[in-house]
This record gives sequence, structure tokens and C-alpha cells, in this order.
Amino acid sequence: MESIENRLGLVSFTVDSEPHIRPKEEKCDSCNLKVCLYVCPAKLYRLEEGKIYFNHEGCLECGTCRVACPEDLEWEYPKGGFGVHYQFG
Amino acid sequence: MERFDAVVIGGGAAGLGSAYRMAENGMNVLLIERGENVGEKSVYGGRIYSWVFEKYVKGFQDAPVERWVKKERLTFLDERESVSIEYSSDETCSFVAILTKFNRWLAEKVEDAGGLVVSGIKVEDVRLNPLRVVADGEEIGCDAVVIAEGVNPMLAMKLGIRSDWKPEEVAVGVKEVFKLSESEVNSRFDVESDEGVANLFVGYPVFTHGGGFIYTNRDTISVGMVVRVDSAMKNKIEVYDLAEKFRAHRDVAGFLKGGSMIEYSAHLVPEAGIKGVPDALHKDNVMIVGDTAGFVLNRGFTIRGVDFAFYSGVLAADSIKEAMDGGDAGLAGQIYERKVRDSAIIGELEKFRKALDVLENTRFFNDYTRMMVEIMRGIFDVKEESNRLYDVVMEKSRGRKIRMALDFLSAFRGL
Repeated sequence: MESIENRLGLVSFTVDSEPHIRPKEEKCDSCNLKVCLYVCPAKLYRLEEGKIYFNHEGCLECGTCRVACPEDLEWEYPKGGFGVHYQFG
Repeated sequence: MERFDAVVIGGGAAGLGSAYRMAENGMNVLLIERGENVGEKSVYGGRIYSWVFEKYVKGFQDAPVERWVKKERLTFLDERESVSIEYSSDETCSFVAILTKFNRWLAEKVEDAGGLVVSGIKVEDVRLNPLRVVADGEEIGCDAVVIAEGVNPMLAMKLGIRSDWKPEEVAVGVKEVFKLSESEVNSRFDVESDEGVANLFVGYPVFTHGGGFIYTNRDTISVGMVVRVDSAMKNKIEVYDLAEKFRAHRDVAGFLKGGSMIEYSAHLVPEAGIKGVPDALHKDNVMIVGDTAGFVLNRGFTIRGVDFAFYSGVLAADSIKEAMDGGDAGLAGQIYERKVRDSAIIGELEKFRKALDVLENTRFFNDYTRMMVEIMRGIFDVKEESNRLYDVVMEKSRGRKIRMALDFLSAFRGL
């Protein structure tokens, strides 16, 4: 099985220094579902010592976390020209 | 303030369809795409139904078609085995294409027809009275706006044209593209160079709402899986490894052997059919098209999205023209509403309303898929003794014959 990290390495991105998705720490802390940990197709949400960490680098811009998150996740498309550049979409 | 007849937001199939039609009709149209390159944010499985492009696009014969679909295959998978039904024909109504390339080709057609396409700019806002689009800190005035922003309806929600998707109304799709050679694709799928295969899979590894797919490109293969977001949540499906699990199956892996993965992608797909289409498709002269409007039809064995997207864009374009020609450009939204409701888009989505109930039934994705495989195993397993078809079917359906009869009848009627 090819790891998700290796597969993301095949994708072309222009990464913005500002994240376009911002989980709210206090809401994540109290969330008992934490579906983001497995529904994100890029595995960008991680749990470390009970806290959710999100890395926007590698975001495939699908919107699954936005739809699945039971809280009010702050989600925007990246700024113009940034984000993923698919070649075989 | 710069001014256009119409501004189209989004350079996918729907936005490009709309801009192309308006440019062809001599209108002053601007398409704004947030991606650095037009079309690069689009992802789909792999197949486009050609009728709408044959009908509306001049020079369609030069489109970047990978292969025309001559073989349709539906495969039921359990963990180790599979049963396939294949339909093979010289006739075809669909082709496999790389959507990003296809979009780029459409964008060239828009420009050739005199439309203006700009990329790398994200529209921040659409404001009413007077109608204008805000992008890059500038306001652009226009008579009509076509929102073709895709499945995540950020602007459409902000304007109150549609509500957000619920997890049970969308599926997440993941796709891997493998490089092979043209002759390898031909021999593995038993096709000629211009012929292609569309193979949909039910069952393994999710055994719930969703399924796998393989599409043959010219010298690459697209392989992936789609699973409804609510089912992924409920069953704690690790979506990031879904395509990997699927392609590890012996009856999928064989097609990819020796190929190298060249891209991984993910996208949401509207899955709610007619129930995912909002009551109103416009607000004033702002119209929503394509995935933003929920124009995707899943019948289990066929999935239509790109043709509806392009067609809805064309209908929006024609509505704007009709309103302008009639002397009251402000009527475009209402005309669009009527045109879409009268069109095959809503017609088809309505016709297959009951397909939603069928595809809601997880027994098709689990019990009946496994049963299909077990029945085949039962009749093909010949040792000293072998089994009668009747006995195998009776044994596998014990205690659930009525349930099955009702389910199959619903599928027969709904799909």
C-alpha cells in the first residue's frame, strides 16, 4: 500500500502561508466524534495528546471536512492561484 | 467600473458551457476561475456522455477524447472474488476524458469565440442592486451572473440561493491515475486504441453507499472509489486509504500491474438527485448551474454530471440572451428557472427520483453483492459432486425471499 504522504507527493500544489481552513480549538477539544481524523482523503487532521492539529498543505479542496464536521468549521477555498493543481482530474 | 453582459464564476464544465454559449452568441462575457489554470480544480471519475457536446460545440471532433466507451462492466466484489456483467458494443454514447484537459480545451473554444477567460482570481463576493462581482478588490458590473463554483456552494450559500449539503447528500470520491502504455491498456482490457472501458464496482471494501470505478484513458488508467460522507462517518471509513484498499483486490490489481501512480485526487459528488436541487435556482439575475445546483444523476450503473453541468450552463446563457433580446435583461433568472424545469436535467432527475430509495438500501451494497458472488461460487464449484442452481439460490436466500423480492422489484422500477 502506498502511504498517503507518498501519494500527496505526486500532487502539485502552490501553498499559501495562510491556511484556508481553520478548526476552532475549543470546539475540537469538546468534540467527541472527530470524524475529520478519518474522512479527510489527504489525512491532514491529526490527534496529538487529545488535540486536533490541521495542516492545510496537501489539501485536495474536496470539502469533505466542511460537510462532515459537526461544528462550524471555518472553511474557504484557497486564494486565487493557490492550492492544488490537478493534471488528471 | 468594468462592465460585461455576464460574469461566469468557475471554469469547470458548467461555467465553460455557459461562457462558450454566450461568446458564440456574440455576448460580452467574462469567466473568472480561481485556479492558476482554467479547469485544474475539476475532478471526476472519468466518463462524459457526449450528446450535449455534439449538439452545442462546434469542432467537437477535435476534443481531447481519451477513448470512446465500447464496454460497460458492472462488477460485484466481495473480499476475494468477483462477478461481472459486461455489455460490449460498437455503438457508443460516452467517452473517457481527463476532465482538466477537457476543460482546457473548452476554455480555448470560449476564447476563440470571443469570450474573456481569466484564471488565478477568486471571486470574493456577488452583490445585488446593482449587480456586480467582487474579485481582486475590484468590482465588475454586469447584467447577469452565472455561479458555477462547483459542489462546495460557498457563494450560492452566502447569497441564500441554496443551503449547504448534509453528509447524506454528498459522496467523497478519491482517484488514482496510473501510467501504463497505450498497448498495455489495449491488451489488458481487450480493446482497440480508440476504444475504452467503463467499469463500476459494488461491494468491497466499503459494502455500503458507494463503489469503485476504473476508466481506461489512452495510456493511463483512472481507478478510485466513492463513498457517501454519512456512511464514511458512521462506519469510520479511512477515506485516505480507500483507493489503496480497493485497488489491492485481486480483480482490480491485475489491471494496474507494473503501472506507476502519477496523481492522487479527491472531490465531492452530489448524490441527492432531485432532492439536492434547491427550490429556486436563481436570485434576481444570479443563477446557479452544474454541481452547485446539484445536477448529478446516479442510477447505480450510470452516473451523469458533466453533461448536465455543461447543459445547465448553456441554458443559463440562452436565458440571459433571451432576456436581453426581449429588452429586459433582469428577467434572465426567471427565464433560466423555467428553462431548467422544462429541460431533460430536471426531467431526468425527476424520472429517477425512486432510484434514490433503491440506492439508500444498503442490502444492495452488502447482502446481495455477497449473495451474487456466493451463488456463482456455488454453481461453478465442481468437485466429485456439484450443486444445482436451484439449491444454491434457495440456500443463499433462505429466510429473506420476500425481502429480496420487494427489494429487486424496487430496483427494477427505480433504476
